[in-house]
Amino acid sequence: MVFHVSLQRLRVNKWRRQLWAATAVAVLVSLAGLTLSWITPAIGSPLRPGLEFTGGTQIQLERVCDDTCPPLTVAEITQAVVRLTLPAEGDNPSPPLNGVSVQLLDEGRLLVLRLPTLTAGQGQALVDQLVPVVGDLVSGSLAVETIGPILGKQLLFSSLISLLVSLAGIAAYITIRYDRTFAVLALLCLGHDVLITCGIFAWLGVLVGLEVNSLFAVALLTIAGYSVNDTVVVFDRIREKRTQLKGRSISEQADAAVSATLTRSVYTTFTTLLPLVALILFGGSTLFWFAVALSIGILTGAWSSITLAPTLLPLFTRR
Amino acid sequence: MARQQGWFALILALAIAAGALLTQFPLQLGLDLRGGSQLTLQVMPAGSITKIEPEQLEAVQVVLDRRINGLGVAESTLQTMGDDQLVLQLPGEQDPSRAARVLGTTALLEFRAQKEGTEEEMQGLLSLKRQAQAALKRIETTAQQDQSDALQITSQDLAPALTDLGIVVPEGSNEAEQLQLLLDAVNQRIVSLFEPAALTGKDLTTAGRQQQQNDSSWEVTMSFTREGGEAFAKLTQSIAGSGRLLGIMLDGRSISEASVGPQFSAAGITGGSASISGSFSSEEARELEVQLRGGSLPLPIEVVEVRTVGPTLGAENVRTSLVAALTGLALVAIFMVFTYRLAGVVAVMALSLYSLFNLAIYALIPVTLTLPGIAGFILSLGMAVDANVLIFERIKDELREGNTLIRSIDSGFSLALTSILDGQITTLISCAALFALGTGFVKGFAVTLGIGVTLSLFSALTCTRTLLRLLMSYPALRRASYFIPRLELPAAAS
Repeated sequence: MVFHVSLQRLRVNKWRRQLWAATAVAVLVSLAGLTLSWITPAIGSPLRPGLEFTGGTQIQLERVCDDTCPPLTVAEITQAVVRLTLPAEGDNPSPPLNGVSVQLLDEGRLLVLRLPTLTAGQGQALVDQLVPVVGDLVSGSLAVETIGPILGKQLLFSSLISLLVSLAGIAAYITIRYDRTFAVLALLCLGHDVLITCGIFAWLGVLVGLEVNSLFAVALLTIAGYSVNDTVVVFDRIREKRTQLKGRSISEQADAAVSATLTRSVYTTFTTLLPLVALILFGGSTLFWFAVALSIGILTGAWSSITLAPTLLPLFTRR
Repeated sequence: MARQQGWFALILALAIAAGALLTQFPLQLGLDLRGGSQLTLQVMPAGSITKIEPEQLEAVQVVLDRRINGLGVAESTLQTMGDDQLVLQLPGEQDPSRAARVLGTTALLEFRAQKEGTEEEMQGLLSLKRQAQAALKRIETTAQQDQSDALQITSQDLAPALTDLGIVVPEGSNEAEQLQLLLDAVNQRIVSLFEPAALTGKDLTTAGRQQQQNDSSWEVTMSFTREGGEAFAKLTQSIAGSGRLLGIMLDGRSISEASVGPQFSAAGITGGSASISGSFSSEEARELEVQLRGGSLPLPIEVVEVRTVGPTLGAENVRTSLVAALTGLALVAIFMVFTYRLAGVVAVMALSLYSLFNLAIYALIPVTLTLPGIAGFILSLGMAVDANVLIFERIKDELREGNTLIRSIDSGFSLALTSILDGQITTLISCAALFALGTGFVKGFAVTLGIGVTLSLFSALTCTRTLLRLLMSYPALRRASYFIPRLELPAAAS
């Protein structure tokens, strides 16, 4: 590879103002997205919460279509659903259905309904009653997800706790292996990666109505664990350069470390991105946004460990 | 050299063992991959109980397990999750609504007196029931040689017994299935020989068990409310000494048939408490106790999550994730060979071994593969290569500084070790947090990623190293230009 020869002369500390400015813009845009999402009445939180956090029932149906599907509009289906009455079941009376949201995907082939929490029996009744409206359904293609409101809160709580615990664990580990300055820097980089990933998803939530689910929480946690990988490679080399280039300034030592590790940072990021690209292209709808979130996190992780950690280090070190 | 060959033999043996393992133990697929329904049940605290103890969770599980088995759904599993949740899985295209309905309701425990004039038929049925149960047990534990049991039902007896009860034997059913059919029919017949319920589980306050003093067998005790005690006295008085039985029914199934001794024919069993003795083992007594106490569920439950994935959709998920995994592997392989040449080829071999070992471990533990779990596996493919990249870059560094190839390879491995370890450990910390605090499929992802990261250490440090050293024992391959383009090398090394 020829390109890394020129990249190796990159001196990040020389360009640090420009790099910081670019980072600041990205962080501000992310914060703006989170705030915008929060003040949008329809969302009311920094990220648009999905079914798993709000509770409710989601039903996905696949219609039998030969070449093209019989035409059907969202409004028609919504009207049909609102008119239905579902059987009461035990202490669960039939919930009002006028809050239903209907999505038609894949040229009308796939139908996704979002409803208030239904019991399993009510969900089945709804599907049966919908057949006259939408036509026959592909057998075995039904997907129903019902999340009670208790579980949603639990999930949010456990996601936040696991994020905090893993941050604390990583900080403790880096403090032991290196020192406290490196731990603070690693956490800063990590916070940057998580923030920008969240920011992009907040914007997607505002602009195209994308919701975050528990897989997104998993993606964030994975990013937290993985993005330190690159940072640690740079740290390890900075420590080595400290003894090799004893007389030089910290900025020079950091630059030398970044130059020496740049190729491998780019390559490791690239090799991790490749399987994720495969997931995005072929992994199906469930894993699509999960892979996108991970890719964003891994890209920002590479950015922060190459540009942020080594340029912030001189600020944090007195000498 | 001999040491290399030892390692190589070990890796080869492991690979063969992993392959054999995979043919023996198929991978377990989660419901989102094979289709089915999953219900998550939350046990709710009630009354004086504010925190669910493991015993209470288990008591709920026992009650629910019995109810689900009564539904006749195939291959259902009910497992505890965390401190206060149960997960019920119904594979295939089975209607989850029936299960949800039955689980939510409180079961009906009834005490019923036997109808008059059915003593003889009851005798026959009970004996048939015992024989069928014994025969079933024998089939379940074929390993245990116990031919002395006189109560065994033989295959020849089975057919007439089935016809007597009017059961049509399904084509191709085996002996165990036929025995189960027989048992079900016998149980139904037994229930029909009892009068309507005289008192129900509502009248029961507690149930317990105690060991009898004279022998080691157990008895089960019950206490009733005041009204219940009176009704129970009346009930027992009506059948005491008559040879008719007291039936205890749970959800319309007879769980115990007890006789009432003649000494109670004057006033019945009074005092609001009673015991059932029948040379129970400790385990049997415990089961009956739980059923009596939990006939109505010991604690209320709520269905908090239902996920249904149709089988076609599940098969589609398997197909797409397989395509994604293979494409990911191929892309990484192309990149590695293109960038690191001979070393890249070695890395790809190590990566293939890594995938094989990974799958073997999934089959061995066993890890139930879910869609997020597969995502964790695919992601770990990318991370596994990271370690190789770090090592090969170090080797290049050493080559550029003019070291010999063999020396560069050795120091490349040892110098890259610290940063590889640090990176893997931080990822493992996140995995541990996800596993300890996450629920359901989040755990699945954490397990596969965690296994992947740990294995990738082994793969990079052992497989890559051994294969590389083995190749280096062939002088024809010992050329630096197989590792790094010639123009980057200092003149001394090329």
